[in-house]
Amino acid sequence: MKNFISFLLVLSLLLLISLAAWAGGQEERAALSPETDAWLKSAGLGEYTEDFDEAALYEAGKKEGEVNIYSYSSRVFKFGPTFEEKYPGIKVNGFDIDSPELVTKVLAEQEAQNYVADVIFLKDPSTVIHELYDRNLVFGYVPSDIKGVILKGFQKPLLVHHTSMDVLIYNDEKMSAPPINSLWDLTKDEWRGRFIFPDPQKLSEFIEVLAAVVEHSKEMEAEYKRVFGEKIKLSPGVENAGYEWVLRILNNDVIIMGSTNDVAKAVGLSDQADPPVGWTAFSRLRDKTKNPNLKFTVMYDIEPVMGVSTDVIMAIVNQARHPNAAKLLIRWMMGDSKGGTGYAPYYVLGNFSVRDDVTPVKGSRKLSDLNYWASDPVYVWENGLKILEFWLANLK
Amino acid sequence: MERAIGTAGGERAAGFNRLRNYLRRPHIIISLVLLFILLFIVIIPFVKMIGDSFIWHFTDTRLSKDARPGHFTLFHWIRIFSSRITRNVLLRPLWNSLSTSLGVSIFAILIGSLLAWLVTRTDLPLRKFVAAAAVLPYVIPSYIHALAWLNLFKNDRIGGAAGLFQYLFGVSPPNWLSYGFFPIVFTLSLHYFPYAFLLVSAALSSMDSRLEESGEILGASQSYILRRITFPLVIPAILSSFILTFSRALGIFGTPYFLGSPVRFFTLSTQIYSNIINRVPAVGYILAFMLIGISSSVIYINQRIIGKRKSFVTIAGKGFRRSITPLGRMKAPLFAVVVLLIIISVLMPLILIVWQTLTLYPDDYSLKNLTILFWIGRGGTDFAEGEAGILRNLSIIRAAWNSIKLALVACLVSGFLGIFIGYAVVKGRNTRLSNTVEQLSFLPYLVPGIAFGALYLSLFTRKIGPIPALYGTFFLVALVCIAKNLPFTGRAGITSMLQIGSELEEASEISGARWSMRFRRIILPLSIHGALSGFILVFITVMRELSLIILLVTPETRTLTTMTFRYQEQGYTQFSSAISVLIIIIVIAGEFISRKMGKRGGGL
Repeated sequence: MKNFISFLLVLSLLLLISLAAWAGGQEERAALSPETDAWLKSAGLGEYTEDFDEAALYEAGKKEGEVNIYSYSSRVFKFGPTFEEKYPGIKVNGFDIDSPELVTKVLAEQEAQNYVADVIFLKDPSTVIHELYDRNLVFGYVPSDIKGVILKGFQKPLLVHHTSMDVLIYNDEKMSAPPINSLWDLTKDEWRGRFIFPDPQKLSEFIEVLAAVVEHSKEMEAEYKRVFGEKIKLSPGVENAGYEWVLRILNNDVIIMGSTNDVAKAVGLSDQADPPVGWTAFSRLRDKTKNPNLKFTVMYDIEPVMGVSTDVIMAIVNQARHPNAAKLLIRWMMGDSKGGTGYAPYYVLGNFSVRDDVTPVKGSRKLSDLNYWASDPVYVWENGLKILEFWLANLK
Repeated sequence: MERAIGTAGGERAAGFNRLRNYLRRPHIIISLVLLFILLFIVIIPFVKMIGDSFIWHFTDTRLSKDARPGHFTLFHWIRIFSSRITRNVLLRPLWNSLSTSLGVSIFAILIGSLLAWLVTRTDLPLRKFVAAAAVLPYVIPSYIHALAWLNLFKNDRIGGAAGLFQYLFGVSPPNWLSYGFFPIVFTLSLHYFPYAFLLVSAALSSMDSRLEESGEILGASQSYILRRITFPLVIPAILSSFILTFSRALGIFGTPYFLGSPVRFFTLSTQIYSNIINRVPAVGYILAFMLIGISSSVIYINQRIIGKRKSFVTIAGKGFRRSITPLGRMKAPLFAVVVLLIIISVLMPLILIVWQTLTLYPDDYSLKNLTILFWIGRGGTDFAEGEAGILRNLSIIRAAWNSIKLALVACLVSGFLGIFIGYAVVKGRNTRLSNTVEQLSFLPYLVPGIAFGALYLSLFTRKIGPIPALYGTFFLVALVCIAKNLPFTGRAGITSMLQIGSELEEASEISGARWSMRFRRIILPLSIHGALSGFILVFITVMRELSLIILLVTPETRTLTTMTFRYQEQGYTQFSSAISVLIIIIVIAGEFISRKMGKRGGGL
């Protein structure tokens, strides 16, 4: 017993020491530190940004020799090699890492002062802006020669590479027309256990989808009236029609899956007797060229919206050791007006370029013609985890 | 007055001498060094975990207006134990974790020990082959069993291609058969029965069968002997396998995720994973405490039982013999059951996984869909984002090299640390110092892999004291593997050290051999053979390790397992399966080589 007590004492002492060490912590957005300012100056970023000069950047980039990019998407292995072809002497080290893990790693590298990543290319803008950008751990770069053609709202605070969308899909082998036309249809009994939604605990962009629904609760309320012909009655303790929709799909036995790819397969594989519908990434459409057994398509005419868009952003990491090569790579990834060069791997169905001079992909509609909600990083930051908590609390 | 001072001085001198003598004993020095190492790799992470659950984190500002990052709070504890998410984040996952782990332990031990009895004590045909095959399920990644199950019993619920069951019988299997508790327990039992098999067959084969024969002479029936003599004698082995199986099943992530999430069957480990990747680590840590608490109490109860039973066990060390029980009429049916077991636990998953690597389009198992593109494709095609087949793919070859390097370093370092732990613990038997070393070295076993990895990530990304920031180094990844596997190697070290009589070392001490000489010439050669099983176990474990290292690997240090995870996530079943096959081949090769080395006289 005596041993046990002394053990506890030692443990609590250690605890106190560690608490004292951590107290203080981080506060609001910090001013630039002298080291960061010096680095910005040498890298030509922030207020020191100069006009885009391809030849000069290439010369400087060749001296750096390489550039490390952490990418949420494996297509980095496609635009990397074309970049190396165009700019011999600069090697692209592409690393394919999931978005949440990517942020964790950049934070760790900054803390360890072991600066591996030069460029980050990822989803989940609300986290990137609040956890990295606001703390001066990443900086934006917009090549001056394309400033004029990039749509407003996609340049600040960080440059958006493209917009992707998460939408509803159905099996068009079995069903000749979209089986639903409203988000509220999914709460009806006929879709009990027949609607698949990716796990928001695992995939942050589906927290964004839920957040968009809650954010637009007024529209959800109006749409409810249109579908059911009466004013919505909120369940006890539920704030608004957006939350009510989340609650009702959960009560309607929604099926949860771990990846958008699984959703596409579950909905789209051919020879199904009674295929479900699902919410997945628009760009899953490209899977159909890889797997002819997939028969699904996007439902465009859903009220109030067909889906929720989210931005894929690019930034240069604080203290990056290859800033010139990094800038050149970012410019390469933004592509040309035909959706070519470094943008080519993303010039596919379901991705939308932020350049207004790029014609939409064949078979795709223009972003401006689509009925969707754009995810709002500030709203997601402030409400996303609360909405996730609501989801968790009401899982049956 | 002077006398008094003299006595005090004499006492001081005597005390100093005692201290000097105390410190001169090699096992004391070793214990102190080990304690210092354990402080860094076990205690500090553990304390950090406790501390982190009591402070606000940056992400908490999203959940509460009161959050002040870095300051003290009870928010996380209250949130988990008494809020609207308590039921779904704590209670139901807790119940699911407990019930599945218990179910898995019972079935795995039942299968494993029956098989052990059949192989060691009966005239079952092909016993050698069965014994070798019975270890293989552990080598196959556990999620492969889960995927195999889905291919067989997937029902309409999650859409997609129908499972084989539905294809053959035209009926959709019920949910309880397809997802959740039943399939998780079934597939994990198939994965974990080798633990019980290995431990129980070791116990059975070192047991003197004269004990059973005396029962027979006294007229006891077969089943009576089995119940009253054989079973009590293998109880310690069964209880050890219970601990191993139970704690492993408690911490496993992949299988419950694949088989549980379609029916929202979440376990503590899946909750820990999602909270840590969503950067709400405090919640993950508190849930990890729950796991630690459960495992500790199970181990505690277990020790109480073994402690009581110890007096029963009379394993004769020398001159024993084993007799074989004829199975008689039961021989054919029992053999059929064993063959069936091997088919479903080894052969089927292996065929499935190899077949998957050969399909052009995933989930299409027809013959015309076969290709070797994913093994030796040149890349640049439309498949798999133009990546080359795994045997030509530089990043996979580099990952394979990383995996092998990691497994070797981890098994050697933690293996030797285990021998030292064994020495320190056995020589200092029942002293407080040696007990502390023993208990501390067991602590990592109780922390689930993903939480352990998260701790190391948050700890070693900055400089602490003389230790530079380790993030991004191979050393850090190796360190976490070494620490996590100390419980195995420490156990192995202690058991093998217990078998070495102290008279050997004492004899050489009398003839004037220094400690380093004694250790190199006597202790090491004698113990290494016994410790070798610990080495192999660590090698296999690290080769297949995912959750422990997934947060710590950087692009330069990524391993084969972290690559399979990526490919699986992105839906490239072929690549992920091909890498799994590669892992299985490396593991089997490693085991084969170490066995050859072990046979050649036990030396390195």
